[in-house]
Amino acid sequence: MILERIIPTVLSVRRLQRADPKLIEAYGGDPDKHTALGLVTCDQDDAMYVALDEATKQAPVDVIFAKSFYAGAAHASGRLSGEILGVIGARDPEEIDEGLDALIRCLQHDACFYDADGKRTVTVFPHVIASLGEYLAKEAGLAVGTPMAYLVAPPLEATIGLDAALKAAEVRAVRITVPPTETNFACAWLTGDLDACEAAAVAYAAAVVDVAGTPKR
Amino acid sequence: MDALRDEIGSSDPLPPIPPMPVVPAPPERVYTPRPEKSAFAEQAARHTTALLGIGHVGTRYATNVVLQFQAELAVAHAAVGAELPDGWAEQNGFVGVRSRVTSHREFLLRPDLGRRLDEASLEIVRTRCTKGIDVQVIIADGLSAVACMQTGKALHDAVVRACTARGLSVGTPIAARFARVWLEDEIGQEVGAKVAMILLGERPGLGTGDGLSAYVVHAPKIGNTDGDRNMISNIHLRGIVPDDAAERLAALAQAMIAQRCSGVTLDLGRLGEVTGGRGYRAPQVRQRLVES
Repeated sequence: MILERIIPTVLSVRRLQRADPKLIEAYGGDPDKHTALGLVTCDQDDAMYVALDEATKQAPVDVIFAKSFYAGAAHASGRLSGEILGVIGARDPEEIDEGLDALIRCLQHDACFYDADGKRTVTVFPHVIASLGEYLAKEAGLAVGTPMAYLVAPPLEATIGLDAALKAAEVRAVRITVPPTETNFACAWLTGDLDACEAAAVAYAAAVVDVAGTPKR
Repeated sequence: MDALRDEIGSSDPLPPIPPMPVVPAPPERVYTPRPEKSAFAEQAARHTTALLGIGHVGTRYATNVVLQFQAELAVAHAAVGAELPDGWAEQNGFVGVRSRVTSHREFLLRPDLGRRLDEASLEIVRTRCTKGIDVQVIIADGLSAVACMQTGKALHDAVVRACTARGLSVGTPIAARFARVWLEDEIGQEVGAKVAMILLGERPGLGTGDGLSAYVVHAPKIGNTDGDRNMISNIHLRGIVPDDAAERLAALAQAMIAQRCSGVTLDLGRLGEVTGGRGYRAPQVRQRLVES
């Protein structure tokens, strides 16, 4: 079915109650602020970025590390590697538990790719974050609480889609990542008011579905 | 995203209809009705219209039995639901009166209102009917207007003939609408009849929507009970035929006038064979309403 949800699979969830300061430092954390870590791998990197941001909204945790793996989940280094490793850090292990709960809830019920051609060979991630958390707000250089459309698709589809999205509503591009990326998708972050972001996401998805259906025209 | 999905989905061509699986034809008859083997039941069934010796199919009734039952029930329902048309009494030479009931539904729900005349009818009875007679015959719809319309007139005429033949004077013919049995008390009291006789459609049974009953009471007055009445039921072409019933009713009326009583105190022993007696009576035959 076209635009069917593809629910991300959480491949591993582990906690480090008291991580070594050197390790925390190596992963980008601050040993003075972070003692406990939560580590998650998942087969959809963009859903994971959104879920990590969600965790910073629901619990006093920081995202200290989040990086996509080269060539995506289909070419992972192991059964549990997936497409991304996300690490959240906090002072207290209980805060980590809380953050992981929010993160996994978001992955299972909210952020996900959609099937754009009915065969899952083209996928699209037309996600709207109603209110940015600390993590993505900092990455995007926006204020916490701003709405943002998080749009991802394969290279050509993304280009056509982004053009449609920018013309569909009063939105402004915050960041446009051109291919190639680690996973060879292309990404764009747009901001505006919430209705505009949603209209842009729908236009983006519609354009990607259109390209997937008629690639040569 | 859901809205977009619906929008895109609605322009998609529908997938081809999967071929219907081959449904094997049902066997022609799964159960065969077991013919009734009991000679007793067979004999007994000949003497009654009750559902005896009807056999069974598995644990259920046979289809033709069920259909017959439903058809008979439908006949009964239709009879209860029927109403005398307006002007029926006058067209058939009766004086038309009605009870205090205003609608057919109220008639079914309020027997008490069906036992009393309304003001206009009371006036009609007082002004237009012959007083001081021996027998006042009333015909009424009761619970089956169908029966009243079918055999009511014939029975009334036969009763009048039989009474006259026995030298009894008969009152003005009255047809009552929405009437219960006890209405005869008020009418008989008003006309000062020695005997009041009401012929009305009886509560329909299975397949007999056309049965009439006759209730006869001596010295009619409001307050008489059913213990003061004699009655003949099942008056229809497959039961007691109207001519026989008329003979018996006239005999009853004559005996009441002679003995000056009716109901349980009336001595029927002196009436002899005319009231039917205790001799053999041919059984009724069940009417087939559906093909078996």
